[in-house]
Amino acid sequence: MVLHRLRSRLPRYTIRLRLAVLYGGVFSAAGTLLLAFIFLTVRYSSHGTVVSAQSAVAKLVERHSGQATPDTTLSVTPESFAAARAQAQAHQLGAVAINVNNSDLHRLLIFSLIAMAIMVVASMTLGWLLAGRVLRPLQVITTAARELSATNLHERLALGGPDDELRELGDTFDELLGRLESSFEAQRQFVANASHELRTPLTLERAILEVTLANPAADAASLRAACERVLAIGEQQERMIDALLTLARSERGLERREPLLLDTLTEEVMQDRAEEAARRGLRLDSNLQRAPTVGDRRLIERLIANLLDNAIHHNSPNGWVTVATTVGAGEAILTISNSGPVIAPEEVSSLIRPFQRLGTDRTGHGDGHGLGLSIVDAIATAHGATLSVHPHAAGGLQAEVRFPSADVSQPRLIQ
Amino acid sequence: MRVLLVEDHAELADTVATGLRREGMAVDVALDGNDALAHLALTDYDVLVLDRDLPGVHGDQICRSLVAEGREGRILMLTAAGSIEDRVDGLSLGADDYLPKPFAFAELVARVRALARRSGVLLPPVLVHGDLRLDPANRLASRDGQRLSLSPKELAVLEYLLGAHGRVVSAEELLEHVWDENADPFTTTVKVTIKRLRAKLGEPPLIETVTNAGYRI
Repeated sequence: MVLHRLRSRLPRYTIRLRLAVLYGGVFSAAGTLLLAFIFLTVRYSSHGTVVSAQSAVAKLVERHSGQATPDTTLSVTPESFAAARAQAQAHQLGAVAINVNNSDLHRLLIFSLIAMAIMVVASMTLGWLLAGRVLRPLQVITTAARELSATNLHERLALGGPDDELRELGDTFDELLGRLESSFEAQRQFVANASHELRTPLTLERAILEVTLANPAADAASLRAACERVLAIGEQQERMIDALLTLARSERGLERREPLLLDTLTEEVMQDRAEEAARRGLRLDSNLQRAPTVGDRRLIERLIANLLDNAIHHNSPNGWVTVATTVGAGEAILTISNSGPVIAPEEVSSLIRPFQRLGTDRTGHGDGHGLGLSIVDAIATAHGATLSVHPHAAGGLQAEVRFPSADVSQPRLIQ
Repeated sequence: MRVLLVEDHAELADTVATGLRREGMAVDVALDGNDALAHLALTDYDVLVLDRDLPGVHGDQICRSLVAEGREGRILMLTAAGSIEDRVDGLSLGADDYLPKPFAFAELVARVRALARRSGVLLPPVLVHGDLRLDPANRLASRDGQRLSLSPKELAVLEYLLGAHGRVVSAEELLEHVWDENADPFTTTVKVTIKRLRAKLGEPPLIETVTNAGYRI
């Protein structure tokens, strides 16, 4: 508790502070070492000078006394007097030298310590400023991340400066923003489209009922016709909502995985559609070889059904549909091919996007809701499979889904 | 009043057009942007009901080009995108009004009528000429307090002539603004309608024939 209160009163131990303290610390250590070295050097080298001066005087004195030595009388010769004076002077000189030397060293120490203290403070301040400058891009990134929301994803940091680690971090952050923005944009587009697709039938229902009721001459037959149309539109809306839910579910990932045979599932779906294909005068051929895979049975059924429905509905009179399953290169492959109107290669990629319909389908005559291939794509992705769609030059489409085969596929993490 | 309805959903376009025709409007339908531009190049519409999200040429583009040309017709945008931003966007493109889907049909009719009144000379909601009163919104016409029983076409012709404020209106002009594109320009349908209208309006005669020019009230 006390510790906590103490900590909250202290400044936050930021990287900037740490760097400043580090600079100050390193400088003080280096400065102290340097000062100690200089101090010791000065101290011992000046002591040596005094000693050598003393010994030089001693030698001089010796020479003078040496000359006097043979004369043992007590008479004071000028030579002996000079020697004694020189000796006394030498002692005095030595003492003065030592005195001077001690006070200089003391002053040197004091000045050094003061300079050292000033430099430590200066180095910490400088360290603080430098660290702030170096860390400024981090501050920019932090501010941007804090202010980030779905509405300003288009903004970029665009950090300038040298090509260093922080610049790399900033650029990576910008790339992340770019990916987020396009994913948000796709979601927004999807919601706008879904809202358009849901509002249109509502508008139609309302218009039919109001226009019919506004007609004073409306008889039972026209009222009945209006009701039937509204009912049909309601069913279409139901299919649309089902499709949206399927799409959302398959984009969320797989809830279940079980081993299953692609060929058996395909055969079941084909049996359900055989009657409709015959009614439309289509030839339905199949070449189903054993193709084991793992996945969610209901979703894979939906995938096959959507592809087959597309092939049947977007066909030409007396056209054909061929369905094949096989195993190749460690993959279970489903191929559905059909005749039909000519589709430009550049239009094909847009077919997979939600709510994309070609030609007359868009005017509302068709029973498609524009989500069929988006759902197929989402289910394929959830299974780790790939969907590829190619137009036939003579008209019609070929769709191919490659699932990881059950024999080789390992249980893998799918988001 | 001549209306062009541009809507890519065929069934909706059909239903709305039926309803508007029953209200006495002459309605043409275009299912995409290019079709709409082709219609607009041929006819001066009083009101354009424009879906925004169109295949071919986008509704915004059509709106922009009409405003740039300085056309007289009024534009009502009709769209499924109903957020405030969308409405503001649509109106700032030059649309005169904006109605989000799903809309109430009665509201659409009222707005189209309101816009038609503002196309050209400003007109009051109820047209009065001497003892003749015409309330187009409620499709009521009366003379000297006596209710007249007029067909939608007769009402529309009367409304157009009253709205012309005494100007001479040619048979071609009547055909362009009161009948839709399915009318045969070489029939005597205008003449016949005027004749029936005159009979129903009674004495003293209101509609004057100007030789080789047209009609006038």
